[in-house]
Amino acid sequence: MNELASDKEILLDCRKINKAYNGPQVLFDVDFSLKRGEIHSLVGENGAGKSTLVKIITGVIQRNDGEITYNGVAVPIAHSKQDAQKLGIAVIYQELSLIHGMTVAQNIFLTKEPMFAGLPIIDIKKMNRMAQEIIDRYGFQLRATDIIDTLSIAQRQTVEILKALNSKASLVIMDEPTSSLTSTESAQLFEIIYRLKADGISVLYISHRMEEVFHLSDRVTVLRDGYKVAVLEKDKISPQEIIRLMIGRTLTDNEEHHRMMKKETPFVLEVEGLSSAGKFYDICLRLREGEVLGLGGLVGAGRTELVRALFGIDPVDSGTVTFLGKPYTPSVTNAIANGIGLVPEERRLQGIMGLISIAGNIGIPNLDVTSRYGFVSGAKELELAGKAIDLMRVKPADADIPVGNLSGGNQQKVVVGKWLIRDLKLLIVDEPTVGIDIGAKEEMYQTIERLSSAGVSVIVVSSDLPELTRLSDRIIVLRKGRIIKEFAEGVITEEAVLRAASGLLEGGER
Amino acid sequence: MKAKKFDLRRLLMEMRLLLILFALMGVLSLLSDRFLTIGNLTNVLWSVCLIGIMSAGFIYAPITGGIDLSVGSMAALSGIIANALMNVIGVPWPLALLLTMAIGLGIGFLNGIVTTKFHVPPFIVTMAALTYLFGFAMLISGGDERSITEPAGFLLIGTGKLFGTPLPIYIMLLTIVGSHILLKHTAFGRRAIAVGANETAAKLSGVDPDKTRIIAYTLSSGTATLAGIVMASLTQQAYAMNARGYELDVITAVVVGGTSLMGGSGSVAGALIGAVMVGFINNGLNLMNMPASFHPLATGIVILAALILNQGIHLPRGSIIGKKTPKKA
Repeated sequence: MNELASDKEILLDCRKINKAYNGPQVLFDVDFSLKRGEIHSLVGENGAGKSTLVKIITGVIQRNDGEITYNGVAVPIAHSKQDAQKLGIAVIYQELSLIHGMTVAQNIFLTKEPMFAGLPIIDIKKMNRMAQEIIDRYGFQLRATDIIDTLSIAQRQTVEILKALNSKASLVIMDEPTSSLTSTESAQLFEIIYRLKADGISVLYISHRMEEVFHLSDRVTVLRDGYKVAVLEKDKISPQEIIRLMIGRTLTDNEEHHRMMKKETPFVLEVEGLSSAGKFYDICLRLREGEVLGLGGLVGAGRTELVRALFGIDPVDSGTVTFLGKPYTPSVTNAIANGIGLVPEERRLQGIMGLISIAGNIGIPNLDVTSRYGFVSGAKELELAGKAIDLMRVKPADADIPVGNLSGGNQQKVVVGKWLIRDLKLLIVDEPTVGIDIGAKEEMYQTIERLSSAGVSVIVVSSDLPELTRLSDRIIVLRKGRIIKEFAEGVITEEAVLRAASGLLEGGER
Repeated sequence: MKAKKFDLRRLLMEMRLLLILFALMGVLSLLSDRFLTIGNLTNVLWSVCLIGIMSAGFIYAPITGGIDLSVGSMAALSGIIANALMNVIGVPWPLALLLTMAIGLGIGFLNGIVTTKFHVPPFIVTMAALTYLFGFAMLISGGDERSITEPAGFLLIGTGKLFGTPLPIYIMLLTIVGSHILLKHTAFGRRAIAVGANETAAKLSGVDPDKTRIIAYTLSSGTATLAGIVMASLTQQAYAMNARGYELDVITAVVVGGTSLMGGSGSVAGALIGAVMVGFINNGLNLMNMPASFHPLATGIVILAALILNQGIHLPRGSIIGKKTPKKA
């Protein structure tokens, strides 16, 4: 390569970036470079280091070492969010950061409002005019005076992008921008991305959706387990190749394949035509005693929504559920009384009560066992807590400690443990090992395997493919709220699951 | 599980509020030799009994992450209702008190329904109740101060004595003990704390947050009604302006007692200690012949100091436990 010639067209250059979060290293000598006016996708499985790299570029966190140059200028390690913004790096987050109740113009010009000369008063007319000029320049169908709340999600994203453009961004980073868009809206977004490119602005695009990456990208960088494994040029990009690189194992690598276990035990859960508008449609599945059913799919495919509905948290529109041969109306109380437990997706927000002791957390769903006539037996509660602590090997084994003071892995053990001391028939775990260390992860897997051999059925929702294939006897893949594929027998590969989740099915299948 | 080892530091942490109270008593007994006498201490308990009774139920509002600003108005209204039932309509006094209690509980239930089912923040709901309950009190009483001279049975509640100690003190101690048992030893107490600590997690563990909150507001209004009845009997009058602003005194007692307004923790015994502490400060100022105009300032400063002290001692707690919980490498 001609170093001098390429230097001019390189906007962002990261070299040998290393990052460790107090302990485990998540990025290893990662090189990443981005040209001017290029659409560059960053792909990798969950935990590959994509978001860490983006956070380093945008100054949300600091790298341990490595060099970054932007526009030919060295970026120091102590590089903050404000510094990144000044350099011209803008991020469009999954959760949009627009202010509701304000107009499009007010959002675009937030903190940069044009003032009446010499007065601390905003010139609203001028602001609206300037905003409309930017909107028209890019040919968007928006009015500067529209209130944010009246816009669709796609239009809001447009405003977010306009905001970035108005602050003279030269690099726009988009993190899963299509996850909440319809296909028409996505197509509109791609138009915008091409327009940005035509304007000489670089786009760093992050998505799990292979077809988007394939259609949009000029180049693709693949990360795996914290290492950069490949940079693909336009003519080398194919969804199959990207998936192969992300997983890092070839098709013929038989040892990595997981054999499905066919069970002949009676059915525990039977779901017929379950639908909830906007979330999932016509779900039919059956789960046998002691079977571990994996739910695969991309984030937003409807997996969490489905298990929430089964546990009775959110209502459904139609369909029937049978549990242990009897009709079952999903409601949380009903679920718990029937021996169903849920380990929810976000431990800190939904799983634990941080201020409350281990015994208190374990006691809440077990009040039916520990109390009589409304009075709780403290001794019984402590006994149950002790049992759960022993079963899950919670450390420290002190029932009085507030759960908020435990490590992530131990918090999760408490959330799982509170169900194990019941007469459990079905345990639903949603992303059970996110944010916990490897040791605790392995223990979690062993717990699920132990439960399964004891006859407890388990539904595992996971975006971690090795985890999903390791644990599951059978895998159902959801895509856009529908069951798109079931892997019931024979061998399963992570690649096959990912291909189904991304909507890349072999011919002959639906 | 291993047997619990005796942990002096942990014990001191749990008793810190009592230690602050004893320190305050020590200072006051040095400042006035009339302070540390049975008669004077009984006086203090008697002076805080209305706040003590109210705190016993009120505390469930902050524990579940809410607030009940209507307790003062509720107390005034219940005195007026009880008087109207007994002395205008002529209902026998025990029945009149039962009816008054039922009305008070009903109003609390209503507060709970509005905040949970119509999703109006409890601050707003109970602030509205503060105003309209006062409005009812004004309407029923015509805004007048009515003396209550009979029935004698009713007047005994506030003025009677048992073993030389005024009855209201027993009523306060009974409601405090009852509330303490409810919080520490019943499924409802567990659920109330769970809802305040993390509503979503509680819900996913089978707790019905709405039901728990409705009970909390019903209890809060219930003890406010009881306090109103005791107040009417004790002051021998029914007046809409009575108990004006008591909601703030109750909040003070509960917060000084270590209950978090953010929900998820609370101590009924602490609330009593908090109320008594405020009582001691006022009593001490009286004994030292401080002018009444000086009281609010002094009380405010001492409360602030107590809160800072309580928080200050609270801070190292995490680190002490943290030492025993080595972070995963």
